[in-house]
Amino acid sequence: MVRFSDGEGSQQDQKFRMNRRKFLKAGAASALTAGMVGAMKALPAEAAEAAANATGVQNGAKSKLHPTADYGGAGVKFVEHNDQWLGTTKIVGNIKNIHEGDTGFSQANRGKYGPDAQKGYYHYHFVMKHPFNGAIASFALSLAPDFMVSGIPSPQKLRIPDPEQMSQHIKDCAYFLRADEVGIGKMPPYAYYSHKAPSQDDLIKDDLSNSVPVTERLPYVIVVMIDQHLETMLASTGYDGISAAQSMRSYHTTGVISVILANYIRNLGYNARAHHFTNYAAVMAPCIMAAGLGELSRTGDCVAHPRLGFRHKVAAVTTDLPLVPDKPIDFGLLDFCRVCGKCADNCPSGAITHDKDMVEYNGYLRWNSNFQKCTEFRVTNKDGSSCGRCMKVCPWDSKEQSWFHTAGTWIGSKGEASSRLLKQIDDMFGYGDEQIEKYKWWLEWPERYGLPTN
Amino acid sequence: MGTILVFLAGILFLAGILFIKPRAKQDLKWKTVVNWVLYVLWYAITGIGISFIYINSSVGHVKATSTAIFLFLGLSLVIAIILARLLGFLGKTRKEINPSIKA
Ligand code: SF4
Ligand code: SF4
Repeated sequence: MVRFSDGEGSQQDQKFRMNRRKFLKAGAASALTAGMVGAMKALPAEAAEAAANATGVQNGAKSKLHPTADYGGAGVKFVEHNDQWLGTTKIVGNIKNIHEGDTGFSQANRGKYGPDAQKGYYHYHFVMKHPFNGAIASFALSLAPDFMVSGIPSPQKLRIPDPEQMSQHIKDCAYFLRADEVGIGKMPPYAYYSHKAPSQDDLIKDDLSNSVPVTERLPYVIVVMIDQHLETMLASTGYDGISAAQSMRSYHTTGVISVILANYIRNLGYNARAHHFTNYAAVMAPCIMAAGLGELSRTGDCVAHPRLGFRHKVAAVTTDLPLVPDKPIDFGLLDFCRVCGKCADNCPSGAITHDKDMVEYNGYLRWNSNFQKCTEFRVTNKDGSSCGRCMKVCPWDSKEQSWFHTAGTWIGSKGEASSRLLKQIDDMFGYGDEQIEKYKWWLEWPERYGLPTN
Repeated sequence: MGTILVFLAGILFLAGILFIKPRAKQDLKWKTVVNWVLYVLWYAITGIGISFIYINSSVGHVKATSTAIFLFLGLSLVIAIILARLLGFLGKTRKEINPSIKA
């Protein structure tokens, strides 16, 4: 009879068996690792702050509420803002201030894109046709009057801290008011509109004679950014009933924050004007870039943030309050967009170019996307309300934050070859163009999605 | 939860080391190195795979989950089989590893 406790067999067997001492040693080692992780979380506040100071990335003045910038893992470089560059956007000529009446939606309202687009846009029908989207937009419109966005500063200038501390404080005010990201930039003078467009009723007659010149030139711009809601975007086609609500969610919240911030700054005795969805005096894209919150993407006018992609909307406050501006950022988006083109592949109106290279437009370089096609589609979309399909599919914002997406984002920010690899991985795993039904919480009213009859 | 998982992962990693240690050492040094490299690789791929599959399935990324099951668990299985073969868990007779059976 063979007894396994005897002889060589027994020794071999014993070797393979983990004895209690070894097991405890292994446990102790793991516990040590786990304990260190736990201890790091339980560090005293000063030590934790010191650790955060030592490791975190920071742009401009440090906020107390968000002491380190969250770039979602992307490798970010801080770059210059001068006569030749606005961040990574090359300035090749004289950038003219544009008339608000020449922007896409105003052109639609003026009838330049045909009668359907005009009907679809008039009094924001393309948003208002969905009852929920209309409810948010109606609130946002209550922020539109000039007395909401601007006013005379208090005659008495209050004592304020130095510009660095003031910038920190302004960022904290915005975070306290629930901004997802805040940046402060040197206000590019060309970001201002040359003129505010006249009323919608004048625009529909294509009458720009009541346009109001924009004369304000303030040195700084504070930009607040709000996420358009990941789960909703994951469930949406990008151009169904909820699409406009995603924009409105971020427009109305950034609008509220900007109006309050501008009010506060005027109470301190300095000039400040809020710019938000229902009352802009400036184009937001250059403000976002100047404030270090993103780079201009293939779409031609959407600025992508390293963590939020372009799943966001912003509002801004221009001011002469003494501040320390942040620097524009470079996280490799231009290289990524050059090889990606996922937005162009998925755009239902074919508005986004597949070109490899950028073209000159009004004195700067950008991809040659067709805003007319995009505007036409958004205001006449019969499958829903507006569109944000390009945002939905973009690898920079099409998924939740997790350790591997953070690693992926880091890879994607390291040049064309790694961008190509990341785009292929993104496609292989089916991110972006999927629809995750379990998050579909809203109601659809397809009978309301057509154009108005009168 | 995260801390418990780190603890468990650490325990399993060390338990695995203790489990294969007697078989990993070979007469040729490079063979020993191959065994350990394969073990670390197998552990990393399995760990990454489980985490990737768990997160993607809980968010609801269907294609990412199924692709990851195929990719990570497939790779994990292949490496596990190679490692088991090199360590003598597979394809060797009991006689070779336990001559006392003859007794
Ligand atoms: S919003 Fe829609 S139509 Fe416009 S560019 Fe994006 S995907 Fe195309
Ligand atoms: S989908 Fe691709 S090409 Fe389009 S903006 Fe995003 S990264 Fe750039």
